[in-house]
Amino acid sequence: MFFLRIMRMAIKGLQTNLLRSLLATLGVIIGVGAVVAAVSILEGSQRDILEQFESLGADQVIVVNGQRQHGGRAVSVNSLLPEDADAIRREHEKIITATVPQFQGAGQIKYFQKNTGAAVLGTTEDYDEVNSYLVAQGRFITREDVRGNAMVTVLGYGVAEKLFGSLPAVGKNVKINGKSFSVIGVMEERGTLGFIEVDNQVIVPLTTAMDRLFGARYLTMLVVRASGTDKVPETIDAVRQTLRAEHRLKPGEEEDFQIFTQEMIKQQFGQFAAIFAVVFYSIAGISMVVGGIGIMNIMTVSVTERTREIGVRIAVGARRFDILRQFLIEAAIISFLGGGLGVACGWAMANLLSSVTQVLEIYTPPMAIVVALLMAIAVGIVSGIYPAIRAARLDPVEALRYE
Amino acid sequence: MGDSVVHALDGVGLTIQSGEFVSITGPSGSGKSTLMHIVGCLDRPTSGALQLGDKVISAMSDKQLAQVRNREIGFVFQTFNLINRTTALDNVTVPLIYTRRSYAKKTAEAALERVGLGARGRHKPSELSGGECQRVAIARAIVNNPKLILADEPTGNLDSRTGKQIMRIFHELHDSGITILLVTHEMDVAVQANRTIHMLDGKIVQDIAVDQSYREQIIEAVKATEMHLHREEGPFPPPDDERATAALQHERRGASARTTDLAE
Repeated sequence: MFFLRIMRMAIKGLQTNLLRSLLATLGVIIGVGAVVAAVSILEGSQRDILEQFESLGADQVIVVNGQRQHGGRAVSVNSLLPEDADAIRREHEKIITATVPQFQGAGQIKYFQKNTGAAVLGTTEDYDEVNSYLVAQGRFITREDVRGNAMVTVLGYGVAEKLFGSLPAVGKNVKINGKSFSVIGVMEERGTLGFIEVDNQVIVPLTTAMDRLFGARYLTMLVVRASGTDKVPETIDAVRQTLRAEHRLKPGEEEDFQIFTQEMIKQQFGQFAAIFAVVFYSIAGISMVVGGIGIMNIMTVSVTERTREIGVRIAVGARRFDILRQFLIEAAIISFLGGGLGVACGWAMANLLSSVTQVLEIYTPPMAIVVALLMAIAVGIVSGIYPAIRAARLDPVEALRYE
Repeated sequence: MGDSVVHALDGVGLTIQSGEFVSITGPSGSGKSTLMHIVGCLDRPTSGALQLGDKVISAMSDKQLAQVRNREIGFVFQTFNLINRTTALDNVTVPLIYTRRSYAKKTAEAALERVGLGARGRHKPSELSGGECQRVAIARAIVNNPKLILADEPTGNLDSRTGKQIMRIFHELHDSGITILLVTHEMDVAVQANRTIHMLDGKIVQDIAVDQSYREQIIEAVKATEMHLHREEGPFPPPDDERATAALQHERRGASARTTDLAE
């Protein structure tokens, strides 16, 4: 009860100089705003990105072409061949259940007058099962399709929608980059899979893509599935060993391929996020210090202005501790209000960024808001200590005479 | 400052009976403010003792002094000393907050009622006249039912008519049994007490009971001087007119004494 009364008194004390007080907390507003915005963006994109990698599956090992330093620049080195996929599978049958070589290109898909741009994925018969991304109508490509360079295609959900609408697509012929393909299936609606918008993708046999469509020699990517998540480290070693042999790399020679797992990418992203966080939190920290100084300044002014009031309060029975507490609470309330504004600004800022860039996902964890507000209150109390002590130490006789 | 000890009060021995109405007069620096502050437990004497009822104030802790100020003493100041940003009622409530006990809002309203401002509780001091402000201050002083009221020039910032209204309230409070100690330099105000003390250089030089004939005599003299001033020189005496100021206004010019030097 007594505490509530002191709170009420403090709030009344602030009302007269609300604008001035809030200006003093600009640093706190910016600091808290920066924290909330940073956390929202970080958490949002982390969730977004991790979701993407989750969809890849924890038992997958991804191999891409390597990079080499060439004249101070990283130059990509094409090295992955379709035969590498077979070799890896053949040599490590016990721990590897599937290898899915992939070639990615871009194409123009045409059905009579209708026309759409899409990603073209050349791959093998295991792609759908490894990714648990299945056909909705018709069938997926088979081993025979791959062996025979068949001119068949499975359309992504979005592509089928654009070209055929509600009409059945299976059995029709479409043109991919001018070449005629028979539609054998349509994939289920999925959105994205490992950063690729698979709904806007068409799938053709690997051989058809590399030999007939793009005339390419090297794969874009090779997905290897281990027989279990616990076999992933072993699989990485196996893949490395086979590829070094296949590519005839001497011992100690730099690898011309790179191996990723979901875990590794998560870790890398975690490192990036940590650096980002440190930068943002430093900005926030500096702002908070500035905000604290602002509050200290305004509270000192307030104590001076209210010297007589303090004298009166002591004269009518306030203890020194009551005066101290009153000013501490005022400082805490000011910075709490600043913190609240900061949370609002930060949240608005993050959402604005998200809608402007159309890329970033935003997620503001409730805990971050609580922590930011507690931080603001702490800054207020710490910077209120000095003015509050000054107020409490006033000599009532002098204070009552103060002009 | 600091080189020598200034005795703002020197060998003052004073006993005030419960229920007395005492006025203190004296020029600036005579020690009357210091006496008030010490009696009001705002300042401690460097030596000597103060007893309030059966309590030995000089032996009390700061905490206990705060409680005595809160519950047993009411202060009224020349400049009202209200908190300007809050309402009259909130101002009267301040001492209640520091009782650390639950209180009814009615207590503050009743105090305002008692000084005739029951309807003005929601107004801020800036919306009140000087006399009304002083009445709010008196309501604040009496809200905790103190035994003693200390008034430091309570009519000093008011015109004579408003001053009379304020003095009427003090009389009413006195009649209800409250002890009043009032500092003033206006003789016609001072003689309204039952006992008047005159101080000079930290010492009590005169301590007399006021009877009706003395009171009337002084009031007549004040009136006569005022009339004289109005007729001869207009309402304001020229600054070098010693004749007008000598008897009645002990302090108009002199610099205020630094009573805090007492602490050193």
